Amino acid sequence: METNAKMFWTGLSPDDAREALVNKDKSMRDKRMTLKEAVSKFVKNGDNVGIAGFVNVRQPVATCHEMVRQGFKDLTLSFQSAGLGPELLAGAMILNPNKFSIKRVELAYWGHEAFGLSPAWRYLAERGMIEIEDWSNYNMSARFKAGAMGLPFIPTRSPLGGDIKNCSRTKIINCPFTERPIGLLPASNPNVAIVHVQAADKFGNCIIRGTDCTCAEIAMASAHTIVTCEQLVSHELVTSNPKDIMIPFAAVDAVVEVPYGAYPGACRRHYWFDGDHTRKFLACIAPMCKGGAPDALQAYYDEYIYGVENFGEFLQKIGVNQLLAVKAAEAHHCERLA
Amino acid sequence: MTASTDYTAQEIIVVAGAKVLEDNKIVFVGTGLPMVASLLAKRTHAPGLIPVFEAGAVGPPLDHGLPVSVGCSRTFTGASYVKGLNAAFELTQRGFADFGFIGGAEVDMYGNLNSTMMGDYPAGYQKPKVRLPGSGGASDMAASCERTILIVPHDKKKFNEKLSYITSPGHLDGTPGARQKAGMQGKGPYRLITTKGIFDFEEKTKRMRLIQTFPGETVQSIQDATGFELLVAPNVTEFAPPTVEEIRLIREVVDPDGIFVKRAAK
Repeated sequence: METNAKMFWTGLSPDDAREALVNKDKSMRDKRMTLKEAVSKFVKNGDNVGIAGFVNVRQPVATCHEMVRQGFKDLTLSFQSAGLGPELLAGAMILNPNKFSIKRVELAYWGHEAFGLSPAWRYLAERGMIEIEDWSNYNMSARFKAGAMGLPFIPTRSPLGGDIKNCSRTKIINCPFTERPIGLLPASNPNVAIVHVQAADKFGNCIIRGTDCTCAEIAMASAHTIVTCEQLVSHELVTSNPKDIMIPFAAVDAVVEVPYGAYPGACRRHYWFDGDHTRKFLACIAPMCKGGAPDALQAYYDEYIYGVENFGEFLQKIGVNQLLAVKAAEAHHCERLA
Repeated sequence: MTASTDYTAQEIIVVAGAKVLEDNKIVFVGTGLPMVASLLAKRTHAPGLIPVFEAGAVGPPLDHGLPVSVGCSRTFTGASYVKGLNAAFELTQRGFADFGFIGGAEVDMYGNLNSTMMGDYPAGYQKPKVRLPGSGGASDMAASCERTILIVPHDKKKFNEKLSYITSPGHLDGTPGARQKAGMQGKGPYRLITTKGIFDFEEKTKRMRLIQTFPGETVQSIQDATGFELLVAPNVTEFAPPTVEEIRLIREVVDPDGIFVKRAAK
């Protein structure tokens, strides 16, 4: 067996993840609460946080705002591809590492595709401020899947060949059946998953439209899951087509209705990307990579995160015209009768 | 077919990328210029091209415009199958993807790509000189699509004998059967499209080989912009300049908002 990085579990080990679920109250109960309550109840210093969504699609932006307001230390962030989620958390660390800090990232991609590279990622990595473990999109998705399957590892082919297998906890064995090399990836069982979905009932049954991303796997693998949703709907409506339920209630610990909860990212059927706001936020961090002052970044956080009580107040600052514009853009791609 | 006289470097990449794609094949499309090229191919010679996006959409008509992300809402409307990342990559691993279409920041003579970091690996891995976004799905496509098409802007600093980091494996060190021996699937890099020409990978050595030069370039000018010795095909031809109609399609139909294809300064 070929192995390069020392083995350890981040978040829960598979056995601990099993134990956590065994001891959990899995009853179908009302899990509605405020985002403030949800974050203070289910996120702890040192946690491995599984960030759901994909790049800037259904990023749990509202939950990240609340995490920044409350402040957490030594987090591990686990995701396949993400943009706004880690960017917002990292921006808080850049401003004040004593109030908010990320210890480690396990990831495939941190950036914003058409909207640019991630300046926060460059800032933290190039200064050696966080531990890095590179994987690929499929590697991270498969690691969450292994966690969701209750297995300690999953075989895949794609860490083979390049350097990902050399800088991660991949193990390579000869397949016992074909005798060809195959990569084994350790399961990821985060302490808490943060997920934004289109609709949920008060018990946590979730409906997802467009890409499923890796949301169900992350929620099922994690010890706790905080769900924010565009629409809180009745249990009867959610169960009218039970196969639509992508994340089942038993995997969810908190349900919070947060319309526009992924803004300025996109949420299928509801709103498209606000590229201008995203670029404006990134432009606050970018000069800092070259030693610039934190003034613009501090002003952004003071205005939009620290200066407001909740995500609703943030949206008021964005204004109705902008929110209607991103809604209209999505209605063009995803036409629906009223 | 009048030749365009004001096309940009990105636009000729897009035209060349589109032409490499074959009608009625499944192409797993990475973000950026591969999306533009795939949409242009669909609007020209390859209406039956079936794009797959890693966030989960299979075979969308892309009637609502160029996606700005491989998870963009525009990839889902009208798609034939929609799941998530695991399902998309399982399709690839299974063998459903004829082509993978990816980019990188740095390439070597065997078509290995780097999109992770610049600097000293492994010593500087935890504190790289320049940190790039990371693999995303590129290394997955590289390991499991049947053939891959690569796009890298041509620049001596990006065409190196040794990469800082191999994110997306190509033909590895070029030894026969290297990919299979490493446990990967597929035939690996098939074409490389740069801002200067089109390359294949020579059958025996798996080394990068110039097959077509873009207008204004010569074998020598391309070699001069490459940090290792290129192989040159016996009958190198000049790639015909994009037509006025192709450029109009890119600017007015495929990417009218300049999402990935930057507009030339007037």
